[in-house]
This record gives sequence, structure tokens and C-alpha cells, in this order.
Amino acid sequence: MGFLAPLMLIGVLGLAVPIAIHLIGRQRAKVVKFAALDFLLATKRRTARRFRLRERVLLAVRAVACAAIAIALAKPYTSCARKGPRVQRGPQAAVLVIDDSFGAGYRLGGTPWLRRATDEARRLLIQLGPEAEVAIVRAAEGADHPSELTRDHLRLRDQLLALEPSARPADTTRALARAAQLLASSSHARRTVYLISLVARTGLRPDDPPWGKDGPELVTVDLRPAAMPNLAITSLRVDADPGAGRRGMAFDAEIANFGDAPANVELSLSIGDRVVARGTLAVGTRERKLKRFLATLPPGTRAIDASVSITGDALPIDDRRWVRASLRDRVRVLLVNGDPSTVRHDDELFYLEAALRPGDREDSGTQVRAITTEELAGIEPRAKGAAGAIELDELDVVVLANVAALPPERAAVLGQWVRRGGGILVAPGDRVDPAAYDKTMLPLLPQSLRDPIDTAWGATPQDRDSRALRLVKWEADHSIFAPFSTTAPELANAKFHKIVLLGPTTDTADRKVLARFTNGAAAMVEASIGAGRTILYTSTLDRDWNDLPIHPGFLPLVQQTVRHLARKHAQLAVSDHLVGGSVALPTPDLKKLQIQGPDGTSAIFEGDRITGRTSVRFTRTDRPGVYRVLGTDPSNVTRPRDDLAFVVNVDPRGSDLTPAPASALPASGRGGGSGPADDQRRVELWHGLAAALLLLLLIEGLLVQR
Amino acid sequence: MGLPKLGDRIDPAQLQRLGSLPIKARVIVEGALSGLHRANVHGSSVEFAQHKEYSPGDELRHVDWKAYAKQDRYYVKQFEQESQLTVYLVLDASASMAFAGGGMAKLEYAGLVLAALGYLTISQQDKVGLLACGDRAIETHVPPRARTTHLHDLLAVLDSIMGKGGTGDESPAAALRRIAELTRRRRALIVLASDLFEEADETLAVLAQLRAQHHDVSVVHVLDPHERTFPYDGLTQFESLETAHRMLVNPAAIRREYLDRMEAFLQRCRGALAAAGVDYHLVSTDRPLEDTLLDLIATRSRLGPTRRRAG
Repeated sequence: MGFLAPLMLIGVLGLAVPIAIHLIGRQRAKVVKFAALDFLLATKRRTARRFRLRERVLLAVRAVACAAIAIALAKPYTSCARKGPRVQRGPQAAVLVIDDSFGAGYRLGGTPWLRRATDEARRLLIQLGPEAEVAIVRAAEGADHPSELTRDHLRLRDQLLALEPSARPADTTRALARAAQLLASSSHARRTVYLISLVARTGLRPDDPPWGKDGPELVTVDLRPAAMPNLAITSLRVDADPGAGRRGMAFDAEIANFGDAPANVELSLSIGDRVVARGTLAVGTRERKLKRFLATLPPGTRAIDASVSITGDALPIDDRRWVRASLRDRVRVLLVNGDPSTVRHDDELFYLEAALRPGDREDSGTQVRAITTEELAGIEPRAKGAAGAIELDELDVVVLANVAALPPERAAVLGQWVRRGGGILVAPGDRVDPAAYDKTMLPLLPQSLRDPIDTAWGATPQDRDSRALRLVKWEADHSIFAPFSTTAPELANAKFHKIVLLGPTTDTADRKVLARFTNGAAAMVEASIGAGRTILYTSTLDRDWNDLPIHPGFLPLVQQTVRHLARKHAQLAVSDHLVGGSVALPTPDLKKLQIQGPDGTSAIFEGDRITGRTSVRFTRTDRPGVYRVLGTDPSNVTRPRDDLAFVVNVDPRGSDLTPAPASALPASGRGGGSGPADDQRRVELWHGLAAALLLLLLIEGLLVQR
Repeated sequence: MGLPKLGDRIDPAQLQRLGSLPIKARVIVEGALSGLHRANVHGSSVEFAQHKEYSPGDELRHVDWKAYAKQDRYYVKQFEQESQLTVYLVLDASASMAFAGGGMAKLEYAGLVLAALGYLTISQQDKVGLLACGDRAIETHVPPRARTTHLHDLLAVLDSIMGKGGTGDESPAAALRRIAELTRRRRALIVLASDLFEEADETLAVLAQLRAQHHDVSVVHVLDPHERTFPYDGLTQFESLETAHRMLVNPAAIRREYLDRMEAFLQRCRGALAAAGVDYHLVSTDRPLEDTLLDLIATRSRLGPTRRRAG
């Protein structure tokens, strides 16, 4: 410990003053010879000890107060190893880059890390001194940056006090670049950037340095705790779950463990305001895992917000993720009839249409359109606008039933549509020529076709049934076979007399045989093509090659198959908006649109902002959660528009707080000037002493009053 | 400075500056009596009762010459005379009585009151004696006499006691027991002047016993105003007058409790003595002595004199 004004220590001799006064006062106490001393003694015995103690405490307080005055005037200080950054006081230009990303909301001992950061920034501001020109740059992605440096430290301090964690990930590189720009405009030789950040690797782009060799000096203020484990829900997808009926939904939440210890995560699914499912999931170190919840939407709702949340985490903002779950629109199916017939039951689509439109009810969930092979020419671009044109993008599934190989251009159009997310079911028949299919249809098939085998060929009518193939070994876990047991007689009893055999696999992904016949040949093969799917059924969809259509299993099988193929399309309809992003909202016949955010804020589009437009763009997606929409139609009726409501989630990149390596930070430029290296930090103690002195005087006053 | 005028109340402090004790006693008595009807006092001592024919041995000064001139026979006047009262003055001269809070010491005040009483008693031709207590080593006893010269002896003893100041811590109880022995069955008026400071209330018990023996007992409870009000302030060291006890204290901190204790003590004294039928006078040393004396006289006159015939 040292003193800035050691001469003032002479004043410590003042310690003797209260002692002397006490002793003299003791000697100068009036002496009274008193007759009724017995009364006093009886009174005094109880108070004498307290009186003596009080006198001694009072003496000690006064003595210490006298000494404290002298010591405080001597301005004591102590030196300790510098923990914080090296700061030089005086004229200079400095930018404080503060990480206010949502990671800064990481709670340490009950308070967010950002409080530490702003406290440190305020200390830095004091240490820089009033002559320093300073700016504060926030490091959250999309944050507004100041336009100039200032000496108004009071305003800067207010800015620091008002700083709250945003809901956006960090973009430290951009903030550093902005800091360098601000400093470049300064005439000071000493230009420094103080980076007060968690320095997460996701916020830095080492290949995009914020400054060159003439850039400022970079001083990193390390306030990062030793470990910052974090669990986050990094994605949440909702998908129709046909197995659970029309209202069935499957929620797939991805949980990431960014910590160095495995975690047992408790999850819950909420639909609307109600928790409908709970579960646990063990997630290993640095591991991501999927958790699926199956639930049904409440009756009477077509669209509702749902969320999955986890508990027990120091960074709560990424512990919940929202999704908008809506009942899928009716599956629109185009049936291409390769073998039409005027006799109803001989028609290729007779059974299929009946199965997809049971009872021909409107609410069957399937919108079926049947065309012939020739009419399929309507999908070609040249048919656009002409009569008979078919808009593939308005379809979910196309079924090619015994359709002869398509011309290459037509197959290509279909192939492109499938890649965009369409679903196609191909079923062979007598019209199908495997060789011709090899030429043009391979982009639509999971496997090439070979010649069919006919088990009834040469058999007597008595042997015909016994030689027929049957369905066995289907994927019971697959959504198509979800309604069936592993030995479902409604499928297993069907007899297949003729099937096509399959050749080598094609250029598809995720190929999977969903069912096989008794001879081991594939009965149903699925594969992904781009964002779409294709399923190849190796027998006919009418009774020409099998009798499945007259078995009870036929209807659920084709229904499930069509729904399964349409799933991709439904998923694409669900957007995952991120905080800070813009959302385009259609404004069908609305004269006013009001959007209410999860934090109670609202935005209104009306007048010129909405008139004559088909959509509006909303950009104030500052907080994660559900944004509800109220629409006012031309008749001035305002009602909630659930179909337009949307959810916003935090960018999962911000959840990864893994520290960046030192090499990821930009090197200091030459603009930092040169200062003496000093690893010792001086801590002035007189402020504390002055406070203690005030306290002592207060105690002294209280003791005297008693 | 001359004597205070009769009829004025004399401040005890002023009285201190007067000369010897006999003078002070006279001033007090005359000051006190000026407030009464002097004739009542003087005329009540000897009153004519009847004539008796002279016989040898009768005092010639009692021969009624006017009756001889009328009757030509010698007659002697007989008077109805008060029975001679024996008054014992008991002075507490213990060290605690030496306390003077700023004015007259309690001992001096008590001594003056008793001196005045002695003066008054002798002037009424009653017998008066004195006992002092305090110092166990010295026994101060002046037997009761009615002669005028006895007054001088008594006042001289009293003066010497007051001159020495209070010493010792002997309780007045011993002196009072002595009086009980001395008077035997003869009634006496016992006047005790004391501050009654003692650990056990022995004195109160003895006073009650004396009253039970049909003595007239009066207690002049002398206290200093400072003992009643405890007016001290600032750090003060109190030292005992009777023992070696001393204590440093902030009086303000204990004033309330001290006064409560003092009041309880006075209540106890007053209650115990009233219950025993003892005449009790609580006096403060700043009170005019004549008032104190008048209080005593008034109490005695209410009791009424005991009379007998004397020739």
C-alpha cells in the first residue's frame, strides 16, 4: 500500500486528541460528595457496565475517525495485478464494443452477464478520462450504431445503463468494423477499440477482418466466466401426423447441448396456452438430438401457435421455440389414367378414385382430379394458358397409374416439380414398357423397372391362387403402414398374380423398400428426389394384376400413401422467421392490418401503406414469440386473422457461446499509439475510507445521543 | 448586617451568617413566634389558681400583699402551672448529614431546628436534653434540665457537633433506644432530626416502639434540595460521605431511576411513621427554619398540654 500525499499522515497524530480529551474529561469530571449514594449505586449497578462500554466505544470511534481523516487525506492506494484492460487516461479516441446479443442475457448469479459488461464499460469510461472521445457500439446483429465519437460521457453512461440484452445473435465482426470506421475519422493518434464481449465464435468471421494494418488497437476485456454451458432448442418443425388422424401433428424439436457435460433435459409441448405433453431427453456433450412430440390440434382450430420449452438453463431466451401449427389444406391429387375404360370397373382408376374419395364426401381431405395420359400434356410449359393446362404447383401428388413412358420433356417437367416438393406415385400395368421407362422415366423412379413376372402363367385355375404372391414384411413404423399391424390380414390376404421386378437403383436419396412380397421382391419402394418424394408400387392399382383393391387394406393404404407423399408440401408452408427478419403478410381485401407482438407492441398498416398492395412487409420482429394479426375488411369489421399470425424465434447461431480462439480476433493495427506496459493496477482506497469515516461519525452521533 | 426583622422569613443561608448558635436559636424562635400570638404563649405558662393562708416555709414572694391589706391576714397565691415537659432532642450527626447541595448542610439545618426547639423549651421552663449519633466512638448526651444556664450548655454541645460536621455512619436507632431506657415510664417528647439514610429501616422501627411507649415522637426528615431533584449534569464523580464508594456517571442517564427510588424511600418513611402515629415533617434545607419550627409547634399545640397543680 502507498500514499499519494504521505505528509498528510502526520495528521494521524490527531488520534491522540480524542484520547486526551477523554482522559482529561475523565479527570475533569465534577466530584460531588453525595449522601444518597446508595440510591445511585442501586441505579448505577445496572448501567455502569453499559456506560463504561459506551464510553470506550465512543473513544475508539472518535480515535479511529480522527485517524481515518488523516489517512484519507493522504490518499492511500494499493496495487494489484491488473485484471481488467490496460487503460491510459488522456486525450484519445476509443470505442467500447459491447456484446448485447441474446447471449449477453446469460445469467450469472441471478444477473445477466450484460450487467457486468456495462459496469466494466462505465469503469473504462471513467479511466479514459473526460478528454477521451468515446463511442459505444453494440455488437448484436442489426444493432444501430452511433455516427460519431463524443466527449459527452454522461450521455454515454446513460446509454450503458439503458442497455438490455437484445434477442439477436452477435455480429462482432460488423461491430468491430463500425468501430474502426468511427476511429478512422478521429484526429487522435491513440485509437483503441475495447471489446467487451463473450467473444463467441459464431459472432466472428475471421476471413472478413474488420480493419487493415492501420486499424486501431484492440483491447479485449475478458469478462467471460470459465464455463458457460447452454442448452437450446435450435429448431422446431411441425408436420402432419396422419397416424393420429386429420388433426394429428408431429412436433420435432432439436435440442442442442453447448456445454461440456451431458444433460438430461426436461421438455414440454404447449399448444396455445396449454401444456399438452412432457418428456425428457438425454443430450450428450456438444450433441444435438431430436425429440418428437405427437399431439392433436384442439377441435375447431385450423391454426394455432405451439411451443416447445426446456427448463433449468442460465440463458432462458433460447429455451423456448414457437411454431405455427396449421391443418394442412386438402391434398390435391392428380390421377393420370393410363388405361381408361368405358366399363367402370375395368377402368384403371375405378378402385383408386373410390378409395381416395370414399363416399365422395367433401371433407375427405383429398381433392382428386383424373386425367388421361394425353391430357397430361397440359403440364408442359407450352400448354400454359391454353385450355387443358395443368398447374403442377397447385397439386400435391400425381399418380401415374399404368401410364406408358412419358415423352422426355413431359417427364422433365414432372421431375422438376417433384424436386420442388411434389410427390409422385408410379404404379405399373400392361401399358408400361420397362425399356421405354428406362429411357425417360428414370428421374421419377427410385429404381428402374424390369420385366414383370406372372405367377399365374401356365397355371391351372386351381393352382392360380396358391401360386399368387402376397404382401409380407412391410415397414410397420412407416407412416403409410401406421394403420396396420405387422400381420394385418387386410393386406396379407391380397393375392398378387403379376408384379414388375426392379432393376438397379436410380440417382435418388433415402431409397427404402417399404414392403415386400412373399418371393422377396419389392412391393413398394420410396425415395427422395430433391425436396419431393417418389413411391413406386410394383403392381397395378386396379384388379388386373392383383385383388388388393377389393380387400379392406386397399383404402387406408392408398390414403396413407397419398398423404405421405403430400407431406413435403405441407412442411414448406411453415416458415421459421428469425428475430430481426422481415415477414411478408398477404393483405387480401384488407383496409387495415394490426400486428401485435409478444412484448405488447403493435404495428398498424393502413391507408397508403396497405391500399392497393397484395402484401405488407413487417420488420419489427425484435422479440421471439407469437405475433398476432387483426384485420379490418372493407366493411370495417375487425377480427383476428389466425391464418396470418406468425411466430418468430431467436437465431440458433446465437445459442452457441463457445469461445472463439484468439486467432479469430483481428490483430491490433498501428493506430493504437504506444503506451508503457503496466501490469499493475492502482486501486485508490480513500473513497472507501471516506465512506467509513462518514459511518463512524454517524455511529458517534448515535452513541452521543444515547 | 443586623438581625432580620421580626415577621420576615429568614433564609437559612442568611441565618448561617449570623453569630453564635444561641443567637441563631433566638432569631429563629422569635421569628417563628412573631407569626403566632405572643401573649398566648407567655400567659399560658403560669396562671393564678387560688389563695392559701400563709404558713411558715411558703415563699414570701408569693404572699399577696393586696389581700393582706384587705383581710389583715397573710395569704399566699397558688398558681396552676403546666406539668414540666421533658424534651429529648436527637440529632443525626452521621457523615451523610454533612451533605450540602449548595446551601446549608443538612446537619447545620437540623442543628438549628433543634437549637431553636431547645431555646423554646427552656423558655417554657421545660426540661430539654440532647443526644447525637453518628460517630460510634463519641457519645454525646446532654441530660434534660430546665434551667436557663442549661440552655447554654446544650447549645454549646450542639454547636460543637455542628462545628465538627457529620462523621461516622451510626444510625439514630441506638440513641433512640437510649432515650427509651432513660425515660423509663415517664412520657417525653422526642424530636429526631435526621435524613434517615440507613440500609435497614431500623430507626423507623425504634421510633414506632417509642410511640408505642406513649412518648410523643416527632421526626424532622431533613433532605437537601439536590437530593430531591438530582440536578447534576455532565460527567460527574459521586463520592459517598459515609463509605469509600465512588462512581463516575452521567447523571442524565440515571436521573429518572434515582428520583423514582428517592420517592419510594420517602413514601416508605412517611407511610411507616404515619402508621405508628409519629409526627413526620419532611423538610428541605432551603426551607425557612421558622416555618419548620412553626410546623413543629403547631403539631405540639394540637396535641395539647398536660397540666398539674403546682404551688
